[in-house]
Amino acid sequence: MTQAEDNDLVARAVSGQDTAAFGELVRRHQSHVRNFLRKLCGDHTLADDLAQDCFMHAWDKLQTYSGRGSFIGWLLKVAYTTFLQSKRKSKRYTEILESAGHVADQESRSKVMPSDEITDLDKFLAVLDEEERAIMVMSYACGLSHREIGMATEMPVGTVKSIIFRGKEKIRNSFDIKDHHHG
Amino acid sequence: MTSKIIIMAERIKDAEDRFLESLFESAPIADDGFSQQIVRRVNRQLWVRRLTLPVAALIGGLIAFKPLAGLLSVIGNMSTMISFDAVGVAANSIPQMQNVLLGAILLGAAMLAARILED
Repeated sequence: MTQAEDNDLVARAVSGQDTAAFGELVRRHQSHVRNFLRKLCGDHTLADDLAQDCFMHAWDKLQTYSGRGSFIGWLLKVAYTTFLQSKRKSKRYTEILESAGHVADQESRSKVMPSDEITDLDKFLAVLDEEERAIMVMSYACGLSHREIGMATEMPVGTVKSIIFRGKEKIRNSFDIKDHHHG
Repeated sequence: MTSKIIIMAERIKDAEDRFLESLFESAPIADDGFSQQIVRRVNRQLWVRRLTLPVAALIGGLIAFKPLAGLLSVIGNMSTMISFDAVGVAANSIPQMQNVLLGAILLGAAMLAARILED
């Protein structure tokens, strides 16, 4: 899976509206995007719906991909934006329900995972805020460089580094990582 | 050169980084028709976009046909009458103008609705 092949597929998809080339791009990167969104939302069904929306947005905006950074970095930027937009919409939806007198936390209560399904990673992610979670997942799960994360989140590289440092510190303070190192 | 050094520096990982990487690592998700589903949605969207403009033009044309025909006949009348009785032409054209305006507004609304649907 090389960058040059990705760029070639993007060029084919953009110039000739070649949906087969775009399908190949989706097939190559769907696992990364879905994993990223699953870790971000903690809800597999919602994450897969968001991944579909993400790829539809990617198709619409494909001509804006300049080919300078990696395609997966660009795709994760689209995925992160899709996630934030959905979050904003659901917040607005909750506000409307609240103003209409409905129980506000109904939705969040229904999404609580059963305790036997909570993994170590879920516990680690729970101590991070949304931004830290997204950046840590991009760095440690998707293997993006700090520069690529900076491009994906529209943050300076220095800020990305300090957020990763802060995230690691939070995890270190909340859990005894040394125990994990040696066994 | 500088960027290569930065990337190398990023790659020098300590035990904590390696631990976090192993923790965040997850099995690849099988495609299971996911990409085909996306391609189907993209193809559907392309068809809708291709059809929107011709369909909107057709509907607008059908709506505007009668007022347009009225407008053409008024123009035809004006060209013959203008030299004889300018006041009379204006009086004849006023009832037709309502139809023309209505047709133009409906055509504009249809085009706007088509644009919104496309978005």
